Amino acid sequence: MASEHDERFMEKIAAVELAELEPAPPYLKARVYSALLVQQTETGHLESLTRCHSRGHELCVFEQLVRISPIGETAKSLNICRVCHARVLAEHMDQPPIFWPGCPYVEFKKS
Amino acid sequence: MHSLGQRVPDEDQKIGSLAIEDSQLAAAVLAKDRKATAEFVARYADSVYGYIHARLAPRYDQVDDLVQEVFLSAWENLGRYRGAGPLEAWVMGIARHKIEDYYRARLRAPESIDDPDQIPVAPVTTSDIHDFLEQSERRKKTWEVLAQVSDQYRFALIWRYWDKASAREMAQKTGKTEKAIERLLARAREEFRGRWNHGQ
Repeated sequence: MASEHDERFMEKIAAVELAELEPAPPYLKARVYSALLVQQTETGHLESLTRCHSRGHELCVFEQLVRISPIGETAKSLNICRVCHARVLAEHMDQPPIFWPGCPYVEFKKS
Repeated sequence: MHSLGQRVPDEDQKIGSLAIEDSQLAAAVLAKDRKATAEFVARYADSVYGYIHARLAPRYDQVDDLVQEVFLSAWENLGRYRGAGPLEAWVMGIARHKIEDYYRARLRAPESIDDPDQIPVAPVTTSDIHDFLEQSERRKKTWEVLAQVSDQYRFALIWRYWDKASAREMAQKTGKTEKAIERLLARAREEFRGRWNHGQ
């Protein structure tokens, strides 16, 4: 009897969702993105920046430099974010001082 | 609003480029398109985080790791996504599995023995909580009470009442008997209600 009462009580309580949607902190989005890129490179190169640009994506200033450089497509397929200070800042700060367009880490802090 | 990492399109380019369809996004991520991968994170991180954050509270220390695990697992299994339903629902399915795994591990551990002096005796009150508590207040109080009960009780209650798992399902996933789960739930409910009424 008491158990049935508790059961009904819990069902009433659970009628209210536990949380209002809590947005993911920007640093976490940055870390998740970095982890995904690392995981993707474990089985081969990323899609080249040439192809990325032709798909219509906006590249950051550093990616643009690599894209227009007279180097092979393999070099343009490297995960250059791995050596970028924007990534390091974004993974540790919610409002990193990075502002240039086309950088996913900059976009994460806006989202 | 253009997608993250997408050049702002000209008017004649807008159709088809403003919203990347789920299957297109999945295909681009599988092709290791870094900008599509960023879009993937930007689109679903809030939903995944919100869900996991709510299910693990107040033990927030594991939230970031679990969110990352969800996305890594999604990447590993993305080839199986057939576009039959929304990609978000598919990703959230992975999040639910991760939470179940987490609960399962916690519920398999031996139950801690609580100090009975710290558990208030459950006074039997029949007051209708809906009459006097607004939804947000109830949510706040629910969390306060859930935070006071043991991890096992909290996870069992959330799994059963908010994630709507049956006792049989919980038993199958934890390797316990259905009776054992029902006993655990009965104790958890009793303690929850006791603490709820105690705090009135």
